[in-house]
Amino acid sequence: MDVDDDPKPAEPLLRLRGISKHFTGVRALDRVDLDVRAGELHVLFGENGAGKSTLINVVSGTFPPDEGTFHFESEEIRHLTPQRARAIGISPVFQEFSLVPSLTVEENLFLGREVSQGGVLWAREMRKRATALIDELGFDLNPALRVDDLSRAHQQMAEIAKALLGRVRLLILDEPTASLTERETGRLFELIARLKSQNVGLIYVSHRMREIRALADRVTVLRDGRHIRTLDAATSTDGELVELMTGRKIDLLFPTIAHKPDKVMVDVENLTLADGSVRDVNLYARAGEITGIAGLVGCGKSELIRAIYGIEPATSGVIRIDGAPYEFPAPRRSLKRGIAYFPANRIAEGLALSRPIRENASMTVLDLPAFARFGLLRQAAERARIGGIMAQLQLRPPNIERTAGALSGGNRQKVMLGRALTRELTVFLFDEPSVGIDVGAKLEVYEFMKRLVEAGAAVIVVSSELPEVLALSNRLYVMHHGRIAAELTGDEKTEQNVLSSFFRDHLTAEVA
Amino acid sequence: MSDLELSVMAKDTDRAKPLSGRWVWNAVLPAALVALLLGFAAFDHGVLSPANLLNIAQQTSYLALFAMAQTVVILTRGFDLALGPTVSMVSVGTALAMAGATATGHDTSVVLFAGLGAGFGLGIACGLFNGVVIALLGVNPFVATLGSYNIAIGIATTLSSGRPVQGVPKLFSQIFYGGSVFGVPAAIVITVVIGIALHLILSCTVFGRSLYIIGTNPRAAAVAGLPVKRILVATYVLCSGLAALGAIMMTARTGSGEPNLGGALSLQAIAGAVVGGTSLAGGRGGVGTAVLGALFITILSNGMNLTRIDGYVQMVVLGAIVIVGVLLDRLRLERGQ
Amino acid sequence: MSTARVTAGPQSSIGLRSIAGRIGFLPALLLLLVAAMSATDPQFYGIINILNILRNASLLAIVACGQALVIVAGGFDLSVGAVVALASVVTAKTMATTATAFPGNTALIIASGVAAGLGCGMVVGLVNGFCVAKLKVSGFVVTLGTMSATAGVGLMITNGIPVYGMPDIFVKGFGRAQAFGLPTAVHVALIVILVMVFAQRRTLFGRYVYAIGGNVDAAVVSGVSIQRHIVGTYVVSSVLAALAGILLTAQVGSGQASFGGDRMMLQSIAAAVIGGVSLRGGVGRVEIVAISALFLTILGNALNLLHVDSRLQPVFLGVIMVAAVALDELSRRRKARV
Repeated sequence: MDVDDDPKPAEPLLRLRGISKHFTGVRALDRVDLDVRAGELHVLFGENGAGKSTLINVVSGTFPPDEGTFHFESEEIRHLTPQRARAIGISPVFQEFSLVPSLTVEENLFLGREVSQGGVLWAREMRKRATALIDELGFDLNPALRVDDLSRAHQQMAEIAKALLGRVRLLILDEPTASLTERETGRLFELIARLKSQNVGLIYVSHRMREIRALADRVTVLRDGRHIRTLDAATSTDGELVELMTGRKIDLLFPTIAHKPDKVMVDVENLTLADGSVRDVNLYARAGEITGIAGLVGCGKSELIRAIYGIEPATSGVIRIDGAPYEFPAPRRSLKRGIAYFPANRIAEGLALSRPIRENASMTVLDLPAFARFGLLRQAAERARIGGIMAQLQLRPPNIERTAGALSGGNRQKVMLGRALTRELTVFLFDEPSVGIDVGAKLEVYEFMKRLVEAGAAVIVVSSELPEVLALSNRLYVMHHGRIAAELTGDEKTEQNVLSSFFRDHLTAEVA
Repeated sequence: MSDLELSVMAKDTDRAKPLSGRWVWNAVLPAALVALLLGFAAFDHGVLSPANLLNIAQQTSYLALFAMAQTVVILTRGFDLALGPTVSMVSVGTALAMAGATATGHDTSVVLFAGLGAGFGLGIACGLFNGVVIALLGVNPFVATLGSYNIAIGIATTLSSGRPVQGVPKLFSQIFYGGSVFGVPAAIVITVVIGIALHLILSCTVFGRSLYIIGTNPRAAAVAGLPVKRILVATYVLCSGLAALGAIMMTARTGSGEPNLGGALSLQAIAGAVVGGTSLAGGRGGVGTAVLGALFITILSNGMNLTRIDGYVQMVVLGAIVIVGVLLDRLRLERGQ
Repeated sequence: MSTARVTAGPQSSIGLRSIAGRIGFLPALLLLLVAAMSATDPQFYGIINILNILRNASLLAIVACGQALVIVAGGFDLSVGAVVALASVVTAKTMATTATAFPGNTALIIASGVAAGLGCGMVVGLVNGFCVAKLKVSGFVVTLGTMSATAGVGLMITNGIPVYGMPDIFVKGFGRAQAFGLPTAVHVALIVILVMVFAQRRTLFGRYVYAIGGNVDAAVVSGVSIQRHIVGTYVVSSVLAALAGILLTAQVGSGQASFGGDRMMLQSIAAAVIGGVSLRGGVGRVEIVAISALFLTILGNALNLLHVDSRLQPVFLGVIMVAAVALDELSRRRKARV
C-alpha cells in the first residue's frame, strides 16, 4: 500500500471550512474543517456522537450544513442534494440506510439513476451492468435477490456496490467492516487499494486501530462535534489518537470499581432468539460485579439483553433470575422482578420527548402504590420523589417540569438513570450506555454504575466501545455472529484478546 | 452512532414548543369562535338570540361528546372512523330493545334498563372489536375501523331494515332529552359531567397518563413496561362507550332509533378534535380541545343553516376544515423545531 | 424483472413470501367460489349474470388499481368513491351544456364531457397529492377531507337529481356497447390493467413508487424525487376513479351523484388489501389486485343470488378487509427478521 506522501499538496479534492450543523438541542458539528485529497484514504476518528456521521451526511448531501463553505474539485458547492452529490461523484456507503428492503439488489444498485428511455426502464442493460460490477468487485452476491432476504454482510456488499456504480471521485465508507467476515474485509481492503490507485479520494469512518494502521493516510479526530486535529497516520501513535479522541488519558476516564462478586443473579442457558440474532448463548452475571458484553455491530449483544428484559422473543433456552426460572419475559414483569433495561436509542425507545421529565422518570413505576393508588396518580408524591432523585443525579437545570425533548443527550440519559432509583431493582442492563453523550456525562454514568455495583447490584453492560467495556467490566463476554466467542477475566481482558476472538484464528497479518 | 444522530433529525418532531406559542394558539380558536359568531350575527340577528345560543350549546353537547371520544383514541395515535356507524347501531339497538321490552309487557324501568343495556352493550362490543383488532392483531387503526365502519353500518341497517325504529318510550326521551337540572337541558348537563370526569381521568389517573405517553412514544411506553395493549383496548372501549352515550342521547331527541343517525358524525368528530388542536401525531390534546373544536364546528354549521347556506356546501366546508385543521397541527409541530 | 423474481425464488432462504403465497391462494379461492356457485345456482353462469359481473368487476378493478398504487407508495385514498360521483355528474352536465350550445356536434360534446370528467379527477388528485407531498399532511386525513368536499360539490351541481342530456351514441355506442362479446368497460379495464402492470414493472415511475413505499429514507438518499411521485400516485388514482365514473355514466345513461360513494372506496381498499398490497408500503402488484376485484364482485353477486340481505353485505366486506390485513400482520410477525 503506497502512502501518498505528496510534498506539496495540490488543491484537495474536497475542502470543507467552518461547517456547523445543529439539531434540536444538539450542536452536532461546530466549525469543522476537513480536506480530502484525491487518492488519499482519510479516516474520521472519534467516539460515538463525536459528529462523524453528521459530517459524512453533510458531505453526501443528506443534511445541509447551517454554515461553512464546501469545495469539491475546486468548485464551490451550495445546496447539495443527495442526487447532486452522486452526480458529481460523491458516493456514500451508509451503515444500513440506503437500501429498499422490498426491492432486489439490482433494483437497489440503480435506484435513482436507472438506465431508461422516455421513462421506460431498460432492464437488460441494467442487469448486464450490475452483474459486471459485482463480478469486478468480486462479491458473492446475486443481483436478483431481494434485499430483505440477504444477510447483513451481503446487504453491506450491496451497499458498497451501489456506491461504486458510475463515476466515483470520493467514496465515503461508514464502518464498512462492522458486519463483514475477515475474508470479505480482505476483499474490501484490496478494493480500497485499487480505488486509491485510480486517484479516488476516500473518507473512512472507523475506530478500529488495526484498520486505521492498515489503510489510513491521514486521520482527522473529531470530539463533541469539533475538529480536534488532523495527523499523518504514519507518524502518529495509537495512544496519541485515543487521547485526542477522548480528550483525556484513558485511565483518568473510568472510575476504579471495587467488584465484589456475590451470588449469580442472571443465568442464561442455551438462549436462542426467534430472529436468529442470538444462538445457544450461555452467560451469567453476578451481583456486585459488572459483566461486560463486547462485539461488533449486529453480533447479537444488544438482542441478548433485550431478550432477558423481554422485548425480543426467544424460542428456546432458560433464563434464571436470582435462581428462579423466568419464563415469558416482558418489560412489566421484568421490572417487578427487579430488572431494569436502559436502551441504546433513548429517543426511539426511552423517552416521550414532549412530556415532562417528571413523567418520563416515573414511567416505570406507575404500578407502585407509592406513585398511584387504585389507578389514581399521587402527583404530589411523584413530584417530591422525582424532584429528589433528579437533584441527586444533578440534572441541569433542575426543573423536572421541562419536557425531556429540551434536554441534552447527557441529561436525557440522567432521566433514564433516574428511573433506576424509583424502585427496588437488583439487575441493571445497560445497552450502549454512553452513546450520544458528552465526556462529562459519561463519567457520571460510569460513577452511577460504580455506585450500583458497590451497593450489590448485578450490572450488565453491552457496548461497542471496547475501551469502555474493558475498563468497566469485571468479566467480559465477547460475542460474534450470535454466539459467545470468548469469556475473558482479569489479565485476559485486553483489546488484543477481544479482537482476536472476533476473528478467531484469522488474525495476525494485517497489523502495520 | 449514525442511527442515533439520524433519528435525532428524523424523529425529533415532538420537541417541546415554546410555551408562548401554546398560549397564542390557545387564544386563536376562541377568538375565531367569537369572530364567527359576530360574523354570522351581521347577516342574521337571530344568531345571538338567547334561544339560539342555548340551541348552540345543546347542539354542541352532542358533538362535544363525540369529539371527546375521538380525541381519546387520537391521543394514542389512533383513529375511529367507525364512530358514526357505531352511533347508528347503538341508536337502532337501543330503540329495538326498548320496543321489544315494551311489547312483552315489561315495566318501564325494565324497558329503560333494557335499552341502556343494549345500547352500551353494542357500543362496548364495537370498542372491544376495534381494540382487539388494533392492539392485539396489530392492524392499522384506519383500516381496522374502516372495517368495523362497514360492519356497524351493515348491522344497523339490517336490524332496522333501513327504517326508523319506533316504540321508544316517552319517559326515555323525557329523561335524556327533555329533562333539565336547574333549567339546564339534560344534554348539556350530561356532557359537562362527562367532560369533567374525562378530564380527571386524563389528568389524574394512571390510565390517562399512559394514554399521553403511548401517544408520544409507543415504543418507549412498551419498553418502560406500560401495558400498552391493554390500555389501547380500553381506549377504544372508552371511545365507543362515549359514542354510545351520545347515541342514546340523540335517540332520545329524535324519539326513534335511526339507522342513519351517525351519517356524517365520524367526519364531524374528527374535524372537531383536529380543529380543536388534538394532534394526529399523538400525545397532545384533551377535553378542552375537543369541546372547543366541537363548539367551532357547531357554530359554523348553525350559522350556515341560519344564513341558509346549502347543506352540500356545508359538506365541502367540513372537508376543507378537516384538512386545514390537520395542516395547522403540522405547522405547529414544525414551528416547535 | 419477472424472470428475475422467478429465478430468485428457489435460492432465497425464506422462499415463498406472503405475496407469492397469495397469488396462489386468491385464484384458488376464486375458483372455489365460482365452482360452488355454479353448482348451487344455474342463474350464476347465465350470460347476463356473467356480463354483469365482468362489468362491475371492471369498474372496481380500475379504481382499485389506482388505490393500490397509492397504497404501495405508503399512502391512502379515501376520496376515490366521491371522485367517481363527481366525474359522473360533471361529465353528464358538461355534455348536456355543450349539447345545448353546439347541437349536433357529437364529437365535441363527447370530448368535452370526457375531458371535463377526467379533468376534475385530476384536480382532486392534484389537491390530494399537494397536501400529502408538499404540506406533509397524512394522506388518510387529507383524502377524508377531500372525500367530503368532493361529494359535496357533486351534490351541489346536481342537487341530488340525475343529470340527463348526453348524446345517444355515448350511451348506446359506447357505454352499453359490446365488442367481441364483452362490454366496453371490460376492454377499458384490461387496457388500464395492462398499462398499470407495465408502469409498475418497466417504468421509472413504477420503480420509484415501490422505492418510496419500501423505504423513503433510502429513496431520498438515492436521489429519488419523492414529492413528484407521490403527487403522481394520487393523480393516477383520482383519474382512474374519474374514468370509472365516466364508464358508469355511459352505461347507465345519466350522471348521478350517488355513484361510487363510500362503497366503491371501501371495495377498492378491500380489493387492494386482499390482493396483497401491504399497508406498510412497497409491496403489491396491480394484476393481483384486479383478480381480487373480480373475487369481491363475484362474492357480492353470490350473496345476492343466495338472497343474503344486501344490507348485510357491508359486514362481509368489513370482516374480509380486517381479516386480510390481520393475516398480513401475523405473517409478518412470524417471519424472522433479517
